Amino acid sequence: MRRNVAGLVVVFVGAAVLQLAISDTYLRYVKPNMRWMLLAAGAILIVLAVADVLADTRKKPGEHHADDGHGHGHLLPRAAWMLVIPIFALLVVDPPALGADAAQRQSPVAAKPVAPKGNSFLAESSGSSAPVPLAVRDYAVWAVWEKESMKGRNFQLTGFVTPGKNGTWYVSRIGLTCCVADGTAFMVEARGQTAPPKNQWVTVTGEWAEPTKRADGDVAALTVTGVQNVTPPANQYE
Amino acid sequence: MSTPADSAEATGEQDSAATAADPAAPVGPPPAPATPPEPPEDKEPAGSSIAFTLTLVVLVALALFGRRIFSGLFTDDGVRTWATMFVGVTVQAMPFLVLGVLLSAALTAFVPASFFAKALPKHPALAVPVASASGVILPGCECASVPVSAALMNRGVTPAAAIAFLLSAPAINPVVLASTAVAFPGQPKVVVARLICSLAVSMVLGWLWLLTGKGSSWLKMPKNRHADGTAKLEVFRSSMLHDFLHAGGFLVVGAAAAATLNVVVPREWLDHVASNLLLSVLVLGVLAVLLAICSEADAFVAASLTQFSLTARLAFMVVGPVVDVKLIALQTGTFGPKFAVRFAPATFVVAILFSLLVGWWLL
Repeated sequence: MRRNVAGLVVVFVGAAVLQLAISDTYLRYVKPNMRWMLLAAGAILIVLAVADVLADTRKKPGEHHADDGHGHGHLLPRAAWMLVIPIFALLVVDPPALGADAAQRQSPVAAKPVAPKGNSFLAESSGSSAPVPLAVRDYAVWAVWEKESMKGRNFQLTGFVTPGKNGTWYVSRIGLTCCVADGTAFMVEARGQTAPPKNQWVTVTGEWAEPTKRADGDVAALTVTGVQNVTPPANQYE
Repeated sequence: MSTPADSAEATGEQDSAATAADPAAPVGPPPAPATPPEPPEDKEPAGSSIAFTLTLVVLVALALFGRRIFSGLFTDDGVRTWATMFVGVTVQAMPFLVLGVLLSAALTAFVPASFFAKALPKHPALAVPVASASGVILPGCECASVPVSAALMNRGVTPAAAIAFLLSAPAINPVVLASTAVAFPGQPKVVVARLICSLAVSMVLGWLWLLTGKGSSWLKMPKNRHADGTAKLEVFRSSMLHDFLHAGGFLVVGAAAAATLNVVVPREWLDHVASNLLLSVLVLGVLAVLLAICSEADAFVAASLTQFSLTARLAFMVVGPVVDVKLIALQTGTFGPKFAVRFAPATFVVAILFSLLVGWWLL
C-alpha cells in the first residue's frame, strides 16, 4: 500500500470512529463509558495520518535521490486494506443494535446471580397495586430467584419482542459487560397476549407469574394485561 | 485468509527498502545501479496519485451512496447480527490498539536500547520472570500487548522476556484484576488463582522459548526501524503508522472470526458438558479461544457461566487473554505464521494444565 493511500485509509478509520462517538451510534456496539476513548482514538488516528502525509510531501523534493532506505519506504503493509471492511460494514450494512435474532440464539433461562442485587425496596411499596417499573434483566432474575417478594405484584417492563416456539413470545433486553461480543439476553415470557411483530419495542404491564420449567432451568414469566408499542431508547442495552 | 502471502510481502518490502541503498556501495558496473532506480521514481508520482484518487473516490462514494446501492442485499437477520458483532469487536478493540501502537512507537523512538539492557537481568532465564511481573504496568487488553512486545524485541530485549511480557500483560494488569474481583464478589481466591496461574503460564512459555525456540528461524523478528541519524519524531510517526496498519488489518480478520463463531456456536450446548471436570475445563478453554472476549470483560462472562465449576471458569479466564482467534491473527501478522502455528497450541496446552493445577490447589 502506498504511503498516501495508507494515510487516506487511516483518516477514514479515524473519521468513522469519531463519527460513531459523536453521534449515539456507538451505543449499538459498546458501553457508554467507551465514548471518550473512542473520541481520543479517532482524533489520534486523524492527526497521525495528516502529520505523516504533510511530512512526506514536504521532504520529498529534498530527499528524492537520497533515500536512506531505513524502511519507511513508500510501501506499507497490504493487510491494511482489511481496515476498509468494517468501514464498508458501517456505511453499507449499518448494523443495528443486537435484537431478537441474537436473543433467539441464547437460552431464555436466567442464571442464578453470583452477587444477588437486593430488591428490598419492593417491600416498602407492598401496599400499592400500581405497576413497578423494572429493568428486564432484574425482573428476569428476581422472578425466578426471589419469588417470595414478587408474588402478586404488578410490574412494568420495556424491551423488544423475541418470538419463541408455539406462539410464545418474550420481552427481552441484551445486557453488555464490555461490548456486543459478550451480550447476554435477558428474557421474560409474556403470557396472555398475542405476539407483536419480531423486534417491536414494547412496554408491557402485568402480574408476576409462576416461572416456566425447562430442561435447563426456569424462565421468568409475566401475565401481561397491557401492551404498548414504544420507540427504542438511545441505549438499547441494559 | 491470505496470511502467509501478506507477511511474506511485508518482509519482502522491508528487505527491498533496506537493500535499495546497497547497490551504490559495491564496485559494480556503474550503469546497472544507475538505470533501474530511475523508472520507478518517474512512475511513482503518477501511480501513487491514481491509487490515491481511486481510493478516495470509492470511499467517498460508499459514504454517500453505499446504502442505496446495496439496499436489499444485507437484510437477513443472521447477517445483520454478524455485522453488529464484527463492527462491535473492532470498535471495542480500536482504542486499545491505538494505545498499543502509540506505546510501542514511543518505545521504539524515545527509549534507548541501553535502558532495557540495564533494567532486565543479563541472563535470559532471569529476565523472564522480571518481564512477566512487569506486565502489571500495561493497563490494556491483549490488542495493546502485541505491538508493545514486538517493540521490546525490536529494542534488543530477549524474545523469551518479550514473550513472557506479551502473555502476562493482558492477564494481570490492575484493570483486569479489579474487574475479576467485581465479577466474583466475596471470592478473592479467584483473583489470586488467576494472578498466579497467568504469571506461571507466561514464565513457563518464556522458558520454553529459551529451551526450544532459541536460534530457530520461525520467529519473524520485527525489523528495527530505528536508524541512526533519523529524527526521533520521524521514527515515532512512521513506526506508529506502520504498526497500526499492520496490526489493524489483522485485528479485522480476528474480529470477523470471533463474530462468526459468536453467531454460529449456540451457547446451549455448553450445558451438556458442564458436569465432567476435565471436559468442562477443555470446553471453556476452547470457548475462550473462539469467543475472543476482551480480557477486561471475560471475568463477567466467566461469572455468568454458573453451571461450570470454578476451575473450568478459571481456565476460561487464563486461556482468553493468552490465546484467542483475534490474538492469533495479530500474532500471525506481527511475528509470522510459522511462529503463531507453534505458539498458540503450546500456550493453550500450558494454560489448561496450569488452570487444572492451580484450580485443584486453590479453588
